[in-house]
Amino acid sequence: MAASERIVGRGIGNKVILASVVLVAIVWMLPIAWVLILSFKPNSELMISTASAFHPPYTLKNYTDIFQTSGVFRWLWNSAVVSVGVTVGILILSSLAGYGFARAEFKGRDVIFILVLLGLAVPEQAVIIARHQIFSDLKMHNTYPAIILPGLSSAFGVFLMTQYFKAIPKDIDEAAMLDNASRFKIFWKVLLPLTIPAQATLGIFSFLGAWNDYLWPLISATKPEMFTITVGIASTQTNFAQSEGLGFLMAQAIFAGLPVFVVYLFFQKYIVRAVAGAAIT
Amino acid sequence: MSSIELDSVSKRFGSVEVISELSLTIHSGEFIAFLGPSGCGKSTLLRMIAGLETVNGGEIRIGGERVDHLPPGARGVAMVFQHYALYPHMTVFDNLAFGLKNIGTPKEEIARRIEEAARILEISHLLQRKPGQLSGGQRQRVAIGRALVKDPKAYLFDEPLSNLDAALRVRTRVELARLHQQTRATTIFVTHDQVEAMTLASRIVVMNARKVEQVGTPMDIYGRPATEFVARFVGSPAMNFLPVQVRDRGGLASAMLGDGSVIDTDVPADALPAGAELRVGVRAEAIRVRQDGAIPGKVEVAERLGDRTHLHVRLMDGSTLVAEDTGISQVQPGDAVRLAVEGATAHLFDAAGLAYHARQ
Amino acid sequence: MTDVTLSPGKATAAVKRPTGASIGPRWSNALFVAPYLAFYLALLVYPLFKGIWMSMLQSDMFDDTSKFAGLANYYRLFNDKVFIGSVWNTIWFVVMTVPAFVAIGLLLALALNRSDRTSATLRAIFFGTSVLSVTIVTIIWKMMYMPGNGAIAGIMRFFGMEPLAFTTTASLALPAIAITTVWWIIGLPMMLFLAALQQIPGELYEAAALDNASRWRSFWSITMPSIRRTLLVVVIYEIVAQFQLFGQALLLTQGGPNNASRPIVLFIYEQGFRSWNLGYAAAASEILFIIMAVAALAQFFASRKRVEE
Ligand SMILES: Nc1ncnc2c1ncn2[C@@H]1O[C@H](COP(=O)(O)OP(=O)(O)OP(=O)(O)O)[C@@H](O)[C@H]1O
Ligand SMILES: [Mg+2]
Repeated sequence: MAASERIVGRGIGNKVILASVVLVAIVWMLPIAWVLILSFKPNSELMISTASAFHPPYTLKNYTDIFQTSGVFRWLWNSAVVSVGVTVGILILSSLAGYGFARAEFKGRDVIFILVLLGLAVPEQAVIIARHQIFSDLKMHNTYPAIILPGLSSAFGVFLMTQYFKAIPKDIDEAAMLDNASRFKIFWKVLLPLTIPAQATLGIFSFLGAWNDYLWPLISATKPEMFTITVGIASTQTNFAQSEGLGFLMAQAIFAGLPVFVVYLFFQKYIVRAVAGAAIT
Repeated sequence: MSSIELDSVSKRFGSVEVISELSLTIHSGEFIAFLGPSGCGKSTLLRMIAGLETVNGGEIRIGGERVDHLPPGARGVAMVFQHYALYPHMTVFDNLAFGLKNIGTPKEEIARRIEEAARILEISHLLQRKPGQLSGGQRQRVAIGRALVKDPKAYLFDEPLSNLDAALRVRTRVELARLHQQTRATTIFVTHDQVEAMTLASRIVVMNARKVEQVGTPMDIYGRPATEFVARFVGSPAMNFLPVQVRDRGGLASAMLGDGSVIDTDVPADALPAGAELRVGVRAEAIRVRQDGAIPGKVEVAERLGDRTHLHVRLMDGSTLVAEDTGISQVQPGDAVRLAVEGATAHLFDAAGLAYHARQ
Repeated sequence: MTDVTLSPGKATAAVKRPTGASIGPRWSNALFVAPYLAFYLALLVYPLFKGIWMSMLQSDMFDDTSKFAGLANYYRLFNDKVFIGSVWNTIWFVVMTVPAFVAIGLLLALALNRSDRTSATLRAIFFGTSVLSVTIVTIIWKMMYMPGNGAIAGIMRFFGMEPLAFTTTASLALPAIAITTVWWIIGLPMMLFLAALQQIPGELYEAAALDNASRWRSFWSITMPSIRRTLLVVVIYEIVAQFQLFGQALLLTQGGPNNASRPIVLFIYEQGFRSWNLGYAAAASEILFIIMAVAALAQFFASRKRVEE
């Protein structure tokens, strides 16, 4: 409980503040509400004026059209493959490396860890030209691996998991050593199950990051059938103002936004805790 | 069960030496306590035996076999950690089974041993719970159980009682003693609590700053402390130390205090270094209030413990000592008293802290 | 305890014990970090150096070869009005958004640092937009900004004003992108501030209330000093993040009108993947890297200090 709540005599002030934030929140949601309304309007009416949004008729046709005409499903599938690939890859690599850096000693480990940490300071944009060249040379563009693999080089997960493993009391490993467990068994059977909260955090971050990534998929996937949903939706936006299917575009955007929004609603507690946790450490 | 031999083992953390050239033999079936102040290296020594710390020099043998190069699991010892170190995500049963599974023990054998250990420790009803659902005392038993099922060559305990409340600590202490009587297993018990060491151990290893001060039975440690450190560390209140002049009294040393009064000790005079500065060491229980006592003083503080009373007395020459009186003592702070010292239990200490005792 | 002796185990003697893990350094332990390191080296370190090398090559569009050109690309960049303009645009964008992130994020955090349901819902709303992808966000805001059909134009007309063409007016394009960006990801700074506020012991405020300190005074003498580090981290984090402006600019304005809203990353993208001037684009990305590395190092030291305190 926040302290300000408990201080007597500040109730009215608090109510005024809360009321104004509620107002701001309503304004904050207006753009989404606007798009949502438009998505239920017939395209022909929107051609004339969007002011018609506030009167009937409303229709579901824009949504049913998605099922027939658009590449959205293919893109959603691509996004799912890519995001799951990135997430699983990051979880595996970061867990192994996090355990290694936190617990499994070898010569030069600490120097390597610092070098990996320096990688956090390298923005994607600084390497994207060369990465594109590398995948071109390998003739791998427009494949899932090309879209997935670069995401696995991020040092963030390694850093997070290392911190998490370090926070686990060392005597648990030691008990396992005395119980004749091998290095890998200690990792797999004893410590990894204790990192599930961190796996959830990292998993959600990685999934959302991969799902919403725009720059690399835009560069690597040039064939529409390999677009992720983020790139695909963007590709429909050209000649936006002149578009004859404004309502359809809106429906498509809402539909494309739904999966992450559902993920958000489901994992909201974890996401909030993850962000807060990342802030405190 | 196996003996454990330490042969001039050393341990450094970086450039700091925490154990230097320490040698010690622990007999098979013995219950040994490592006792010493915080930071003296008790845990480090225990962990070296377990294989959790590397050894920088010397040899460690368990059951005659040299183990200091072996990984912890290969040494056949079991350890009970101060914070229990149970596997939080496994049930109690799985906690106990983990080590046995890892060495390929057949399922039925695992189940049999866990059942037996659980019965001994009275945790049979807890086997399907997770450690998080247990009280501190129950976790303690599970930790002991995890050691017990392995039927190890030796048990290593690192301050296993320090996380329990006072009542539970006493109860668990008694149970550990009983358990040892049943299993007769070689046991090393690290503690900084002298009562635990005195009550549990067949021998106590008193450690201080990198080295062993004394190894002996509890009564040896208490009655014939080898050094001033041991004398001060063991026993509560701490032993009184007063500078004295020593005279030969028919082969035994008589110690004259600063105020001129004399304590007739049973320490052989010829064993004492000639012309050295000496101090007499007397425990509070050997100093009583008596009308005919030889040493006059004034009570400054009276600590009433119920069964006895500790009197902090200032002597005429300004030095202070602690004397013991009965629980129903009428003595008040400010009272003038006379103290009688039981010279037969007095010890003499030289400037280096080395002790001289009466002949046994 | 019952008086039962544990029967000696025979099984232990029969099987050979697998030894289990040992302490101390072992080469085999490096196997845990090796898989990640392979990716790190192949897709981060190698491209980083390859990028530096590429930035010193002049590619020939016609026969698909390239030759070493030293710092020629960099020299050209510093004389390229479009690039210099994109650097200024980016800086201007950072200057607009970072204070907004800090101020709005902190205000929301202060107002929503409570444990009731309403506050939780409001927090979820303000954070919720962050999970949307940039493409959806820009669609939403195009519908706000459209000169004829947009919501803002409609509102302005309702109040009898002449609607503004946000995305096609040079002076308004970048501010429009900034507003969109703040709307999109205000959730993160808000959450960071909330986390920091929750670390402040409540007793401090109670003590201040007993001393009749006003809300305003408590804010300046208790809250602000307590969240100083977070403030710094948010500022630096947002500088680094907003320097990477790309998607919003590409999708809302295509960098226009007349280059007025083209940020550095968009410049790199266009040079690299529209005009295929790879060396030139690589040089621009190195300059971006240098700017951001400085900021990232500052963040590292800021958060390091925070931990040590
Ligand atoms: N990993 C380590 N690195 C450096 N120094 C260490 C390490 N472990 C222990 N030490 C030092 O070694 C000395 C002995 O530590 P040890 O843990 O053995 O003490 P202890 O007798 O068990 O004390 P306590 O009763 O507090 O548990 C201490 O001075 C400690 O600071
Ligand atoms: Mg210790």
